Amino acid sequence: MKQAGSSDIFSIKYRLERLKRDSNKWSIFTLAIILFIALPVISIGVKLFAGPGETWGHIVDHLLPDYIGNSLFLVVVCSILVLIMGVSTAWLVARFEFPMREQMEWLLILPLAIPSYIVAYAYAGLFDYGGSMDLIFRWFGWDFIRIDIMNKTGLAFVLSISLFPYVYVSSRAFFLNQANNLLEASKMLGVGEVRSFFKLMLPLARPAIIAGLILVLMEVLNDYGAAQYFGVNTFTTGIFRAWFSLEEPETAVYLSALLIVIVFALILIEKWQRRNIKVSNSKSNITYIHRKKGSAWMQFFILLAVLIPVILGFFIPLVQLGYWAILTAHNVFNMDFLMLSLQSFGIAFITALITVIVATLLIYFSKWSFLGFIKSIARLGILGYAIPGAVIAIGIMIPTLAFDKWLINTLDYLFSIKTGLLINGTLVALVYAYCVRFLAVAFNPIESTSLKVNNTIPDSSKMLGVGNLKTFFKIEFPLIKTGIFSALILVFIDVLKELPLTLILKPFHVNTLAVKAYEYASDEMVMEAAIPSLFIIFTAALPVIFLNRLLIKK
Amino acid sequence: MLTISSLSKSFDKGKSYALNKVSFKLEKGDVCAIVGESGSGKTTLVRLIAGLERPDHGTIELDGEVVSSLKKLVPPEKRKIGLVFQEYALFPHLTLIENVLYGISKQKNKQERAREVLELVGLTSMENRYPHQLSGGQQQRVALARALAPNPSLLILDEPFSNLDAMLRMQLRSQVFEIIKKTGVTAIFVTHDTQDALSVADEILILQKGEVVQKDEAANLYIKPNSVYVASLFGNTIQLNKALQTAFECPLNANCCHAIRNESLTINSECEYVTHAKVLKKTFLGDNIQLLLKLDNGEQLTVLTKERNIEDKITIGFNSKDVLEFSS
Amino acid sequence: MKKLLFALTILLTVVSCKESDKKETTGEQEKNMVVNVYTHRHYEADQQLFKMFEDQTGIKVNVINSNADELIQKMSMEGKQSPADVLITVDAGRLTRAKEQNLLQAVNSEILDNAIPSHLKDMDNQWFGLTKRARIIAYAKDRVKPEELSTYEDLASDKWRKKLLIRSSSNIYNQSLLASIIVHNGEAEAKKWAEGIVKNMARSPKGSDRDQVKAVVAGEGDLAIVNSYYIGQMLNSSDPEEVETAGKIGLFFPNQDGRGTHMNVSGAGVAKYAPNKENAVKFIEFLVSEEAQKIFAHSNYEYPVISSIDPAGLLMEWGDFKEDSLLLSKLGENNKKAVLIFDEASWK
Repeated sequence: MKQAGSSDIFSIKYRLERLKRDSNKWSIFTLAIILFIALPVISIGVKLFAGPGETWGHIVDHLLPDYIGNSLFLVVVCSILVLIMGVSTAWLVARFEFPMREQMEWLLILPLAIPSYIVAYAYAGLFDYGGSMDLIFRWFGWDFIRIDIMNKTGLAFVLSISLFPYVYVSSRAFFLNQANNLLEASKMLGVGEVRSFFKLMLPLARPAIIAGLILVLMEVLNDYGAAQYFGVNTFTTGIFRAWFSLEEPETAVYLSALLIVIVFALILIEKWQRRNIKVSNSKSNITYIHRKKGSAWMQFFILLAVLIPVILGFFIPLVQLGYWAILTAHNVFNMDFLMLSLQSFGIAFITALITVIVATLLIYFSKWSFLGFIKSIARLGILGYAIPGAVIAIGIMIPTLAFDKWLINTLDYLFSIKTGLLINGTLVALVYAYCVRFLAVAFNPIESTSLKVNNTIPDSSKMLGVGNLKTFFKIEFPLIKTGIFSALILVFIDVLKELPLTLILKPFHVNTLAVKAYEYASDEMVMEAAIPSLFIIFTAALPVIFLNRLLIKK
Repeated sequence: MLTISSLSKSFDKGKSYALNKVSFKLEKGDVCAIVGESGSGKTTLVRLIAGLERPDHGTIELDGEVVSSLKKLVPPEKRKIGLVFQEYALFPHLTLIENVLYGISKQKNKQERAREVLELVGLTSMENRYPHQLSGGQQQRVALARALAPNPSLLILDEPFSNLDAMLRMQLRSQVFEIIKKTGVTAIFVTHDTQDALSVADEILILQKGEVVQKDEAANLYIKPNSVYVASLFGNTIQLNKALQTAFECPLNANCCHAIRNESLTINSECEYVTHAKVLKKTFLGDNIQLLLKLDNGEQLTVLTKERNIEDKITIGFNSKDVLEFSS
Repeated sequence: MKKLLFALTILLTVVSCKESDKKETTGEQEKNMVVNVYTHRHYEADQQLFKMFEDQTGIKVNVINSNADELIQKMSMEGKQSPADVLITVDAGRLTRAKEQNLLQAVNSEILDNAIPSHLKDMDNQWFGLTKRARIIAYAKDRVKPEELSTYEDLASDKWRKKLLIRSSSNIYNQSLLASIIVHNGEAEAKKWAEGIVKNMARSPKGSDRDQVKAVVAGEGDLAIVNSYYIGQMLNSSDPEEVETAGKIGLFFPNQDGRGTHMNVSGAGVAKYAPNKENAVKFIEFLVSEEAQKIFAHSNYEYPVISSIDPAGLLMEWGDFKEDSLLLSKLGENNKKAVLIFDEASWK
């Protein structure tokens, strides 16, 4: 209905007037955070205008079709596999009672504790000539069986079993919080458990599932270690090839930009499919899920179904690594090693804390801002996840070095103080980079739980005379705690595993377990990499178990 | 005490208006109902008054102070307005007493005040329960107590009874408004149910497609609705179109719209305009019977009647004084 | 419990970071007593050597470990402020690139001049080879007779159709090998060779050099092109299965009748803006000392660059062979060409 006079109200003058009125400190804070996060991405983006290097044509002719084909293959196959494993396990754990259920709840997250390139090494070692499976087959006299895992399909398998917990975590959080009465209603209508799952819960859980899936796909597209080892050429291996083998950083940036476009498209698709769904049920936060208890046989099969992904994604690599660790312990294990583990743990924890705070601020500041476009911009903050770690590292170095050099000159000029680089090559730059890279990991669980808190709840608080910040601490924080803790765990683990960015930005004397594992693995001493890998797994697994207990108690 | 002038809000940058140039005044101590079909802009209006949305145009004055204009916006937490949401929006992790205390934590005698309002709504014995342990009606009363605790200068209730069943609704309605009258607070309540509005409101504001169509006292609205829309909101109304006018042989001003309330129709009795009708179908509705009639000239008409003994052929008619005339 | 764990973590983090801060500041104070090393090498042997150097000279060795490419990128971005003193890579190509990007400086050291043969270092003395590795042919003893083998060029001939195993072209050792072929035979021949090798591949390239050896023993192919020191490492592996596997293959040093077996080096250069240049030179000099070279040879099975000591132990068993004495800087100059040819030949 077009009204007379509408053109007046929406003339530029009125719009500017309202923009002035509606921009509050939250809008400015949001923009500041976005700028802080986007700075490295922008620094890289600016390079795009320089155009690709001269080998661009060569890459398009000889390599690009392969990159696109392989990356698409991985995206499709991994999507299918992680959806099957992640959603089904989340549903079974949330809805059914069976022996060891509580243990399974956290065991299912543990595959995330192993870096996917380590899983790749472990599986390659397992099926290798002279590997454990090969020895077992030989022992049975089945010499003819040789499983080759080092190909596209094998890579998709390895990535899926090590990444499916992202989908598991996000969809389980949804199933646990989902109003029980919806399900009861569905059952009253005579709809069975299986059908209510497909007809009711699956469509409702879609935003949560997709959020997890997007994280998986970003990791898949970003994987370098495993793809490189398995000889599968993807976008990311291509970025490294263009940058280092072809010696053309411009071309590498071009390829990264293409990758970013793909990921951005994925995010848009997710937003689009979420457009009509507003999950808001104020009662849903508290209701208790009644778990169904089937017959002994059924319980056994459920346990089995839930165990399979855990065995594939955690126990098999763990056993393989354990075997290697025993073989190499005398070379690798010492006191320095324990110190290094502590350092890794501390850096990961502090980074996780900072990243989660930044993500929460971003989500809530943009919510408190009345400007529509701020909200869309806020989502840009998660783009860092799509960019390969090495590229982010360079993106961080550009602005921090510029700042450092400015600082050095200013200090020298004003106070004649001579200093070295103050940000670059210190923990600050490293944590900054992690924060940019993993903001999406923190953003998603926090956002999806915050969406479940009906808007009228914070609104009520405001109507009672309480401001935004206090409302957050008193009302919203207790209600989204689950999401915040999940975010903490996920970022912690991701930082612990992170490699390419750490390699470039880590200060002297600071070392991480992932770097240590890589040092061995990249020198084809995969077996020696087992002990640092196992330490990553244990340091990652402990908080997972601890925090999961905390969530369950709630 | 509340003055709204030329208030407009569009959610799509001017393509359509959720609220279009709404103006009205409210006196202190009044209870005003905002009535309209869903999508008429009721909720947008109260959210603008509360400060939860920002208007594109127009001003809102509260107690003589401009709280919302093109230049200035007082944030919701500073407006001293109490708001009871349709879904109550109780804080699920806080007990009843904590919910009520929440808005008055800075007051000195907060404990007493909280007990006082809980007593007002009759829930003192449950103060340590959590919201999910309460029935819908009880939650509604807690939400009311919580909104009243800080002594708001204006209380807004957004569709307060729509989540309740009919019996509870009637009971609670009188309870809630008894409490409101007792406290003397100025109140706005939003509803799509005219029964709610007629029974408790001093004044009723009718919204249609984001515009105020009529604002008046309850009785006046019923007697003198200024449009078919308003008339039909307050009871079963039959529009007297050309065909019906011919059937009843009542020539009316062709430049106006006309309607007649169902209750003004008489069956088998003397009146100015009558016509014969054949009963095609009778539906028993308890206190009423619904008739599907076929008039002499072939027009079909549905009416309600209290008459129990209806034959197959009846006469039906009305008097000219009962005809409602609208200018458009 | 939650609070306790939280406090504990914070404490530990602070302690561990303090620890590194402390090291940093002491490093700053005794500026002359450190050398900052950017290295692509990360072998146990190197750590042993760094320790020895620290003990002998009192100069602390700070290490950043990463890919050479990333280290070069880092140095070029840091510019004058770069803390790097020494850059160590595992190939001559990357050193050449660092030199081209003006990241290294010439070093005048008699010790280095005397110790390292001229084809194993930069002609402007900007970088120096530290160790040599031979790119050799590993063959299945039961299926291939050494007499059938001759040159790299021969591997592209039809008789090895579907029998050859070699890793991905993104590996620098393969790039160097092709670069050497470009220099010796010209680009056109090099391309034909690459295409021939692709035809002869038993499987799509994947995995490491060690994996190629395992695949030969598993029967996936008959020949593999690998670096010599990996075989040495396999023969001394912690995994008995690997030792057994490596024992089943024979080694062949190709092109003995011609230019000699292709060698690549790992080498070091002094950074252009090295804050501790003297220490950097001392450090490199130490790495080519006899005792250091012995450790390279003994624990990492690399060939020493100095002629005064013998390639001990295992390397002796493999015997003497003729090395390709191509000027190593040529490899760097032709590296990019090699990569382009790989792509055109669809060598993954």
